[in-house]
This record gives sequence, C-alpha cells and structure tokens, in this order.
Amino acid sequence: MKEKLFMGIDIGSSSSKAVVIDEAGKLLGSTVVNMGTGTGGPKSVIDQLMEQLKITVQDITRSVVTGYGRMTYEGADTQITEISCHAMGVFKSLSDVQTIIDIGGQDAKVIRLDRNGKVVDFGMNEKCAAGTGRFLEVMARVVGCDIGDLSELAKRSQSPARISSVCTVFAESEVISQLSSNTKIEDVAKGVHMSVATRVVGMCNRVGVAEKVAMTGGVALNDDFVNTLSEELYVDIMVPNSPQTMGALGAAHYARNMAEKD
Amino acid sequence: MIAVLDELVKKGKNPKATVLEAMKDSGRKAVGCFPIYVPEEIIYAAGLLPVGVWGGKTDIKLADKYLQSFCCSIMRANMEFGMKGTYDMLSAVVITAYCDTLRAVMVNWPYAVPNVKVVPFVYPQNRQGDSAFRYTLEIFDKFQSEMESISGKKVTAERLEEAFDLYEQWRALSQEFTTLAATHPVTINAKVRHYALRASYYMDKKTYTEKLMEVNQALKSMPDEQVKFKVVVTGLLAEPEGFLDLFVANNISFVADDLAQESRQFRTPTRPEGTVYEKMAWRIMDLRGDTFFYEENKSRGRMLIDMVKESSADAVVVCLYKFCDPEEFDYPVYKKELEAAGIPILYLEIEQQMDSMEQLRTRIQTFTEIL
Amino acid sequence: MTKILSSKQRLNQLLAEHYQEAQDAKEAGRPVAWATSIFPQEILEAMGFAIVYPENHAAAIGARKDAPQFLKKAESDGYSIDNCSYARINLAYAELLHSDAANIPVPDLICCCSNICLTTIKWYENLAKHFNCPMIIIDTPSGMTDDISEERVRYIRGQLEEAIVQLEEIAGKKFDYDKFKDVMRISNETATWWLKATDLLKHKPSPAMGFDMFNYMAPIVCFRGIESGRLLFKQWYEELEKRIENGQGPWDDKEEKFRVLWDGIPCWPYLSSTYKVLKKNGINMVTSTYPESWSLLYDVGDLDGMARAYGSLLVQRSMDHGVRRLCRLASEFNVDGAIFHSNRSCKGMDFKQFEIARQLKLQYGVPSVFFDGDQTDPSAFSIAQYETRVQALLEMMASNVEKGDR
Repeated sequence: MKEKLFMGIDIGSSSSKAVVIDEAGKLLGSTVVNMGTGTGGPKSVIDQLMEQLKITVQDITRSVVTGYGRMTYEGADTQITEISCHAMGVFKSLSDVQTIIDIGGQDAKVIRLDRNGKVVDFGMNEKCAAGTGRFLEVMARVVGCDIGDLSELAKRSQSPARISSVCTVFAESEVISQLSSNTKIEDVAKGVHMSVATRVVGMCNRVGVAEKVAMTGGVALNDDFVNTLSEELYVDIMVPNSPQTMGALGAAHYARNMAEKD
Repeated sequence: MIAVLDELVKKGKNPKATVLEAMKDSGRKAVGCFPIYVPEEIIYAAGLLPVGVWGGKTDIKLADKYLQSFCCSIMRANMEFGMKGTYDMLSAVVITAYCDTLRAVMVNWPYAVPNVKVVPFVYPQNRQGDSAFRYTLEIFDKFQSEMESISGKKVTAERLEEAFDLYEQWRALSQEFTTLAATHPVTINAKVRHYALRASYYMDKKTYTEKLMEVNQALKSMPDEQVKFKVVVTGLLAEPEGFLDLFVANNISFVADDLAQESRQFRTPTRPEGTVYEKMAWRIMDLRGDTFFYEENKSRGRMLIDMVKESSADAVVVCLYKFCDPEEFDYPVYKKELEAAGIPILYLEIEQQMDSMEQLRTRIQTFTEIL
Repeated sequence: MTKILSSKQRLNQLLAEHYQEAQDAKEAGRPVAWATSIFPQEILEAMGFAIVYPENHAAAIGARKDAPQFLKKAESDGYSIDNCSYARINLAYAELLHSDAANIPVPDLICCCSNICLTTIKWYENLAKHFNCPMIIIDTPSGMTDDISEERVRYIRGQLEEAIVQLEEIAGKKFDYDKFKDVMRISNETATWWLKATDLLKHKPSPAMGFDMFNYMAPIVCFRGIESGRLLFKQWYEELEKRIENGQGPWDDKEEKFRVLWDGIPCWPYLSSTYKVLKKNGINMVTSTYPESWSLLYDVGDLDGMARAYGSLLVQRSMDHGVRRLCRLASEFNVDGAIFHSNRSCKGMDFKQFEIARQLKLQYGVPSVFFDGDQTDPSAFSIAQYETRVQALLEMMASNVEKGDR
C-alpha cells in the first residue's frame, strides 16, 4: 500500500517554505527558498523538496498552505492562517510551550496557547518595520555587515549603544550618528538587537507571556537576538530546530489531521 | 432579496447621488453633519436636509496642508473632500468638538474650505448638574437661529414637533431593524446591515423611515436564519467595505452593535415630559456608555457584557480607528472587564483609507480558528 | 546671615517642598487632589486640599529620563503609542506608584478642566475609575468666536458652583468663601507677576535664556494660588529687571544673535540637548503661547469673571484669534523666526500649526521650521533631524538679516 504523505507550504512575503511528513507525523524533509509570494518562490520550494525526497506532487495525499501568500496559491487543498500553523508546528516540536514569538522579515507575532496547544490569543505587528527582520536588515546594511553576521558581532559588545527611536528612519540616523562618533560596530549591533527586543516586548506584554516560551521565524536564527529578548522578558526562550519552517510543519500536520478525519 | 432593502443598500453605497436626489425631491438645501451627534431635528425643522459627513474613501493629498499624518483618517478624508469641492453642494457643515482633532478641523475649516460655511455645535461634557441642561437648551436656541438664517424659514412649534416625531419614529424603526437583522443574519449580513443603516445619512428621513418600515415588515414575515459566528461589534464605524466583506466571507454576523455611526445614534430614549428641546436635551444628558461623553465610572464595559449575554454572541469585535484618542483611551478599560467576564475579543486596527485587507483577513480568519 | 536664594534656586526648593507636602498631607489624612494644569485651583486651595499636577509630574519623569518604564507599562495595558505620553506615563504611574524622579500620593479626588484639551477628559476619567474616587470636571466648550459666549460663561460658572457643593461633600466641611477670595487675590497677583516677568523678554537682548520659561512653568501651575508662588514670580521679575538695567543678555558667555518663538511643549527628555543646539547658534527663545495661558486675570470675588478667564484660553477661540495672538507676539518680542514642535502627543496643538506658520510668514514675514518630537516619549525624537531643521532656520534668519528684512 502506498504511504500517505502530507505537505505544508508556508508562503511569506520574503521567503517560501515547504515540509513533508508521513502518516505517523514524522518529518521527512523541508526546504526554504528566499523568494516569497508573487515570485517563483512557491513553485521552486516545492520542486526542490520533491527532488530531495525523490517524489512528485501526485504522491502527496493532502496539503495545506499558510502564510501571507496563501490566498492566491492554488495548489493546496486548504488554507489556514500562519498563527494556527505556527502554533501547531511548535506544539509538535517542543513540549509545554504556551507562548510563541514569531519574527519574520516583514512582521512579528506573539501567539499564546493553552496546555493543549490551542491558540487562545495573539498579537500582530504587520505595519511597522521596527520590531521585525526588516529593521535588522536596514541596520545591518548601515553597519556594513551581512545580516547573518549580526549575531557574532553583537556578542562581542562590551558597552551596547542606546538606540531609542521607534521609527526605523530615525533609528537609522541614530545609528549613523553613533558610527560617526566612533562607537564600536559591535556595540551598535547589540544596541540594534536591544531596540528590536524592546518593540517585541511591548507586543508580548499586551498579549501576555506564559512559560514555556519559544521563538520561530527567520530572526530566531540570530542567537544573540534570542538572548537579548530572553533577558528583556526575564524568561528562557527555546528555539526549535529549523525555526523558519514551523509554519509549514504545522500546516503539514493540519493536512494530516484533516485526512484522518475523512 | 427584498427589493426595497436592495434600494436602501444601493443608496447607502452612493452618498453623493443619494444626497443630490434627496435635495431635488424634497426641495431642501443640504447641511452636512460631522460626527458624532448633531441635533438633526432642528436642521430638519428649519426646512433643511441633514446629511452625514463621515469621511469616505479618497486619496489624501490636499489635507496634508493642514493636518499631520498622525490624524484620524475620517477627519483627513472630510478635510480632503471639503478642499476638493465634494461638499460644495452643502449650504453649511455643522462641526462638533468631541475630540481635539474635531476641534482643530473646526477652526481650520474657514481657511481650508472657505466656500462652505461652518456652524459649530458643541454639547456640554459635564452632564451631571443643572447647568449643562440649561446650557443645552440655550445652544439649541442659538443653533435654531443659525439654521433659520440658512434656510430662510422659521422653525415653528409645529415644524419642530413634526421633526421630533419623525426622528423618534426613525429611531424606533432602526432599533427594530437591528433586532430583525440579528435573527436574519444571512439576508442581513454585515455588509447589507451597514449600508442599509448608512442610507439614512443621505436620504430624507421621511422617505427613509417609510422604506425601512417596509424592510422590517418583510423581515418579520421571513423565517429565522442562522450563521456560524455571532459577534457584537464596537467602535466608530464598520468601514471600509473590504473589512465588511471579510466578516461575510468568514460567516460572522453582527448580532448587535455599539457603533457611533449606528446604534449609538438611536438607542437612547428620551424622557416623556417637557418641550421638544427639553426632551432632546434629556436624551443627551441620559446617554451612557458613550466614548464621546464624559461619564463618571465608565459603563461601556458593563454595557458590552450585557449586550453579549442578551444576544448570545460569541465575541466582541473591536473596530479601532487608528489615531482615535477617545476610543484608544476606552479600550484598555473595557478590555479588562471583558476579559474578566471571559468574553473573547478580536482587536482590529482600521483606517478608512486602507487598501490592503490581507492583514485584517489573517486576524479575522485566525479568530474564527480560535473560537 | 542666611544666604538669599535666586528665584531659580527657590523654585527648586519650592518644588521639592511641594512633593513632600503632598506626601505629608496623605499621611495626615488630608485629602489629595490630582488636577490638570489649568484647573481652577482656587476652589481646591480654598478648601485646603493638597494638589498635585500629573502633567508636571510626568514632565519631571520625562526630564529625569525615567519615562520608558511607564510607557512600557501603559503599552502592555493596551494603551496606544499614539496617545499623549503624559497620559500614558501617568496612567502607568497610577499602577506602579514609584519613580526615582518624584512621587505623588494616591489621590482622593480627580479634578479635570478641559480647557487645555479634550484628551484630559478621557485620561482623568480612567484615573477616577482606577482609583475609584470622585471626579470633578469643569468643562469649557470651544467654538469659533474670538470671545466666549455668555451662555458658555453661565455654564462654566454653574459648574464651578456645582463643584463647590461636591467639594463640601467630599471634605465634609463648608466652603470658606473668605479664604476663596484670598486665594483669588493671590492667584491674580501671581499671574500678573508671571505675565510681567515674561513680558520683560521683549527687551533686546532678552534678559532670560528662553528655556527658563519652561522651568518656571512648573511653579506657575502648582503655586499660582499660594503666597510663596506670588513671591517667587515677583522675585523673578525683579531679577530680570536688574539684568536689563545691567545690560545683561541671556548668556554671560554668548551673544543673543537671533530671537525665536517656540510653539509647543518642550521635549523634556532632551531639554538640555535641544537647548544646546540653540545656544550654540546664538538663538534664544524669547516667547511662546504659554505666558498668556496662565495669565488668568479676573476681579476678586467675581465668579463670572473667573469662569470667563478659565474658559477663554487660545484653545477655546477661533483660529483667527490664535493667528493674531502669535503675530502680535512675533512683533512685540521682535522675533526673527519660529520653531514649531510637532509634538506626537499633542494633536490639539499640532493640527493648527501648519496654518499658523503660514500666516506668520504671510502677515509678519517670520520664517519657521517644524521638527518631530514628543513631550516625554524619548523614542519619537531624532537629534539629527532637530539639528538640521534648526540649521535651516538659522540660514533663513541670517539671509533675512542680510536682505535687511529684519
């Protein structure tokens, strides 16, 4: 008998992710492509995953799509929001998580769960660049490093710079002014992390934080940022393996659950 | 679909055409009324046509000359419409002062829109003592003179009684409509409900009440309907249209509302005794749970809890217009009360000029996934 | 021989005493009121209430850089970051009840006069609910005329009388009308000295460095009805007069090159750095709309007059009136330019600035610049933007001088 396979696709504004799990819920493979909705990203990420697993889309029993681009994607059976999918993905990866902080390229979310992994409340910031990956991108450019290098840079900081502006444009000018008064770039990098953490903490407090806390999304790969946020929130923050694919993983599990019910 | 309902919805969607038609049919000059409450009965009794001026969809270019960007989108839209001539068919606008932004728009208007006269109208905020009641009667008198000079017609006792009775009828029918809408949420979905009520801002109230009466009759004869989710919506107004579409798409009905543009206009009764102006003044003195009137021991939270219980709603949807200070100050207070009562809240930040509904879509959809 | 304090030193001493007295009053069981900055404090002083002013307190918290913890708390409670930062700080303080900057005791009474803005009504409404204590509101409606109408005077007077009854119930004693007259007298005299002192800045060069006016705002709010307040402002006036006699300008180490009007509240967390940018360029702030805001003058014993005074701030009047007022200030104070603080917290003031700036240029030829900031939220200001704007104004003012336009 042919094995049942379930696929989750997460189409964000700047990246696409795909995950396949089997009937038992075991993770078979995942891919990430740095192109989001409205590009060749969604097709590319699936093609790559199919190639990796040596299967075709016909082998997929059921699929669920999530993320910003879910409304225009036609290849899936159902669409579910990324809040529910992130919650499901984390619930399947880590135990006892009751708060998920998801920071992507363009937005940030805080999701609160009950003990059964069900979403009870959430907060989103999808309007303001401050407090999202975008802010880090802009600042990395100003500091003159790759966004992937920010973490190592910030870890070397002895005396973090204070960046108080909420507005990304103002903050950029603050950073430039810090650099021209010879503030060390590692101190600026740490200051940038602290600034983003402050914005995120504001949203966390509005929704309420209950332990255990996990972080997902691309920014979770920046471990200095995770530590900074952890300090500001006074809680430990867990990061699952492959934090970027939590949404797609959750979507795949939803596909599996729905097929079970049929 | 009920034909007369269709008609109302259409009129609600087309303010300019509806106002021009009403002006032509009634032979009355039109006077624009800014949010939130204006004594329309007096305008009507003076032989004029009161029409609502609650912003709308427009690009904002001209208003930037007077208002910074961190300003209520409804007021920016009003300013924009005024400056580009959309309100030229109005003989005057009545501008109020329920918030600092409204007050600023009031004093800027003669510079920004010199060709449309402003008549200020400001109710008292301190409604506890006699002085407020007496003051309200005095400003009604003053307002009456202003309206008379615009229409050239006297407000006789007879005309005032007629206008008062008409508006009482409008209130009663509008309340009946919202009750019937709750039991017929498929025919009267969120979008239809909004536009049917909105039409009253652009039509002659006399014509509107006749048509609403027909709609209510038709609804009464229809069997009850069910929809998956029922919510109480609170805030300024349920716009823009894309926002309403999302509720319909997600099978959510507005089973009751605490909106400034809708039920708040017609839910407060007046006292049985007194002259027409006294009755009108009492209604204002007796308003409760309102964002825009000072109230000792704010009762909005308790009122919302009661509304949810009475209508068996699943949740409260907060329609928060960005930069609306009064609403933003109320929210933390009633939020706490609703949470203590175990009522789910969906908080949505809205602007009248919003183009992209994607963010709202995600929030609303997630909410249904939670409920 | 005890050292005579300068009015500046006396000011700081009085403020410290003010906060201490409020704590003492609370401990002694004397009622404490939280009031808005232009509340008719005469009725509270006459009744013997200890009064503290949340706006002053929030400004002090902002100036001593303690605002962030309160802003964070307010945000987590659900307040929007678009709301007035004084309100956010104070509402959060109402829960946290401690700041290293200064402390005010829990109130027994909340007092709001809407003459400064309507936001205070919502803010104070929330305070009263939080503390579960009575609230007195004096509502001063606005319109589009230059002078307020007679019916408004009647309504405000009526509210004053109703407030007195409310106070008698709360305090459990009769209102002392003799003390009331006394407080009225002192208040009028203090306001007169305040106006006279700030008027001296008309002199070229101004005897005061303009940001001083912001420092003296705290006492004109808190001590208007108190004898020590009256003496303070009289002293300040005399000091300024002396400086003029001695030919002293604002600074001993720098010449006053340009004179500006500052529209709006200062950026309290950045008072020092915003001031330094001006001084560096020889720019002195000589006037603003604040002197007249506290020039609440009326005949002693005349409740109608008092109602009219409190109900006739710039805010209650037409834009025309506001424009004329500012143009008159520009003329009398010999102003070269204007700086408009587009204060994120203060929509009521901000949404009139554009037209006022235009009229100032049109009618009096005064150039102006705008900068984005906030009265107490440190995250809404950029020193780089401020410096650029001030420099732009400097260039405009300098070019006017060259052209002989000044």
